Amino acid sequence: MSLAFHWRLPQGGERDGATRASQATRAETALPDLSAQVDFCRQAEQSGIDSVLVDLNVAKPDPIALATALAVRTQRVRFIVAVRSGLLSPTLFVQQINTLSALSKGRVSLNVVAGHSPAEQKSYGDFLSHGERYARTDEFLTICHGLWACAGGVTFSGRYLRIEDGRLNAPFVSPERSSPEIFVAGNSAESCGLAQKWGTCWMRLGDTPARVAESVAPVLAAGVAAGLRLSIISAPTRAEALRSAASVLDALDASRRDRATESAFVDRSDSVSIKQTYELAASEWLTDCLWAGAVRSHGATTLALVGAPDAVAAGIMEFARAGISHFILSGWPKLESMIFFGRHILPAIRTIESAGAC
Amino acid sequence: MPEPLRFHWSLSQAGQTFRRAQPREQHPGMPALADQVQLCRVAEQVGIESMLMAIGYTRPDPLVLSMAIGAQTGSIKFMIACRSGLISPTYFVQQVNTASTLLPDRICINMVCGHTPYELGYYGDFLEHDERYSRTAEFMAICRELWRRDGRVNFDGTYYRVENAWVDTPMISGTSRGPEVFLGGNSVQAEDLAIEYADCLWRFPDADDKLAVRVARVVASGTRVGLLVSLITRPTREAALDAASVLIAGFSAQTRVVHRDFAARSDSTGFRSVYAAAEDAATEWLTPTLWTGAVPYLGAPAIALVGSYEDVADAILGYHTMGVTQFLFMGWPDVEEVRHFGEGVLPLLGDAALVNRDGRAGARAAATR
Repeated sequence: MSLAFHWRLPQGGERDGATRASQATRAETALPDLSAQVDFCRQAEQSGIDSVLVDLNVAKPDPIALATALAVRTQRVRFIVAVRSGLLSPTLFVQQINTLSALSKGRVSLNVVAGHSPAEQKSYGDFLSHGERYARTDEFLTICHGLWACAGGVTFSGRYLRIEDGRLNAPFVSPERSSPEIFVAGNSAESCGLAQKWGTCWMRLGDTPARVAESVAPVLAAGVAAGLRLSIISAPTRAEALRSAASVLDALDASRRDRATESAFVDRSDSVSIKQTYELAASEWLTDCLWAGAVRSHGATTLALVGAPDAVAAGIMEFARAGISHFILSGWPKLESMIFFGRHILPAIRTIESAGAC
Repeated sequence: MPEPLRFHWSLSQAGQTFRRAQPREQHPGMPALADQVQLCRVAEQVGIESMLMAIGYTRPDPLVLSMAIGAQTGSIKFMIACRSGLISPTYFVQQVNTASTLLPDRICINMVCGHTPYELGYYGDFLEHDERYSRTAEFMAICRELWRRDGRVNFDGTYYRVENAWVDTPMISGTSRGPEVFLGGNSVQAEDLAIEYADCLWRFPDADDKLAVRVARVVASGTRVGLLVSLITRPTREAALDAASVLIAGFSAQTRVVHRDFAARSDSTGFRSVYAAAEDAATEWLTPTLWTGAVPYLGAPAIALVGSYEDVADAILGYHTMGVTQFLFMGWPDVEEVRHFGEGVLPLLGDAALVNRDGRAGARAAATR
C-alpha cells in the first residue's frame, strides 16, 4: 500500500507562515475564503494529495459546514473533518457526517481530537479534564460506530453519554466503506489506545524516526495505521531550503512577543502532544533534516522536514520505515509549497516506493 | 395595518411527495438533491423568501444540506431547524455563523423543541416537554449573547454552562448581528419563548376565533406570528376540491394507522390538537378554506388552505388582518403548488405582500425589523 499524503487546508487569508497567536487574532481566519480554498482543493487534486484537513477551534469556521461547501465544488479530493466529543450529540454528528458523505460520494474522513485548551473547551461548555475527555470520546465513538453499523436501534448508557434506540434513516454513503476513516490525533497514551480501539489511523506529531517507530509499534501491532502531522520546507537546493526556513523566523515580531504568546499557550494547554513537541524544540535540529526551529513561535505542527526534494523524500521514507503510512503536511507559502511537493518530492517518493526500496 | 406579508416553503417533501404517508422508519434519509434544487429554484423565481430545512432522524442534516443546495441556487434563504439538547450553543453559533459566511444573508434559524420523546431519545435527549422549553430558553439566551459580539459570555444555568465563551466567525445577516429567529410551537410555553427570544412564532392554524386570541397575545408583545399550513389552490374552487379528493383517495386505512400511532406517541401540543381536531370534528372544514381532511393520512402539517386563487388570497388577507404576517407552506407535489401560489395567489395580494420575484423580498422585509 503506497503512502498517503494529505494537506492541511489553509484558513482564510492564511498564506505565509503565520504564528498560532497571530492567526488566532486575525479576522480573516474566522472567515472562509471560499474561492481561494476551492482553488487550493483543486490544486490538491492536481498535486496528488488525497485529502485536505479541515481543522476546528473557536477562531475558525466550522469544519463540517466549510467541508460541505468545498466538497460540492470539487471532484476527487477528500476532506478530513475535525471533531471533538462534547460539542454535539453523537447522533446529530453522525447525521451531519452521513449527509456530507451522500453529498460528496463518500469523500469524508474524521480527525478525532480531544481538545487542547481547557479555556477553549469551557467556551464550548466542556469542563472535563484531559483524561475524562478521552473517556467521553471513547463513548462518543462507540455510539457513532453503532449508528454506522445500521443494525437497528443503538442503546448506550455510559458515564458521559446516553442514547436510547438511536437510529438514523441516512446511512454513511461511500463506494468503499460503511463508515468513515477515522484519524485519531494526539501523542498521549489515551489517544494511542483510542486509535487502536476505534481508529483507522493514529495521527501523532513529529519526532525523530527512532522515537516515532517505538511509539507506533503497538498501534501497528493492533492492525491500525500510523500517521504524522509534519511541515515541509523544501527548495531546489538545501541552501535555499535553509534560507526559506530562516525567513519564517525573520518574519517574527522583533519583540519576540510571538514566542512569549506560544509559550504561554503551551503552559495553559493540557495537550500531551503540544507540550512534548515544545520540549523537543529545545534543540533546533532533531536530525540533519528535521527542524524544530519554528515550533516555539509557530506551534507544534511546524516541526518540519527541511531540504532539497531528494532529502525530503528520503526523510519521508525514513518515517515510512518507522511505520508511518499517512502524512498530513503543511508548508509555506501554503499553496506554492503543496505545488512544489507534488511536482518535485512526491514523484521521488513514488519512484522509491515502486523500486521497493522501502 | 400589520407589516407586509412574507412567504416561505418547506423543503421536506421535495422528491418524496408522499413521504408523510409512510411510517417514519421508512422515510428515505438521503438527500434528493436534484429535486430539492429544482423546488428551490422555482420557489425563488416566484418570490418565496426561504425554505424550511427540517430536522429529525428520518432526514438529512439541515445545515449540511443547506450548504449543498445553496451552492446551486441564487437567492433563496435557508431556515435551518435546530433543537436544543443536541449541540453546544457555542458550537451551534459557530456552525450557523459559518453557514452564513458561505451563504451571506441567506441563513435564518427555526428553533423547535421536538415532538416525540422516543425520537429525542435517539439523540440522547430525555427531558419532558416543559423542561425542553426551559432548556431552549437557556440555549437561546447563550446564543443571543454570542451573536451580540459584545465581549465574552458567561452562563451558568440548569442545563447549560459556558465560561468566557466566544465565537470568532461572525453571522453575515443583513442589518442584524444575529440570524432572524423563528420558533415553532403551539403551546403557551412556545408562545412565551417566542415572545422572549424569537422574531416570529410558527404555529398551526385553527378556527378563526380560537386562532385570533393566540395571535393577538403574541403580536401584542412585538413578536410576529406565522402559520405553518399546507396549500391546495387551483384556478377554481371545484378544481381545488378535486385535487384534495384525489390526494386522499390514494391512501388506505393503513395510512391512518401511521398517524394515529404517531399522534399517540407525540407530546407536542400542536401535533396532538390538530390531529384530534381532524379525527373528532363533525366537519373537515374549520373555516370555509381551512381543511383537515388530509391530516389523518399525512399528519398535522397537512392541515391545508384549500380553494380557488381568490379564496386562498382572501383567507390570507383575513389572517393578515388578524395579525399573521408570515406563511410557511407545503403542497403535493410542492413544485406544482408553489407555481399555483406564485402565479395565481400572489398577484391577488397586491401591496399586502412585499415580494420581489427574484426572491429578495425577505431582505427588504428584514431591513425594516
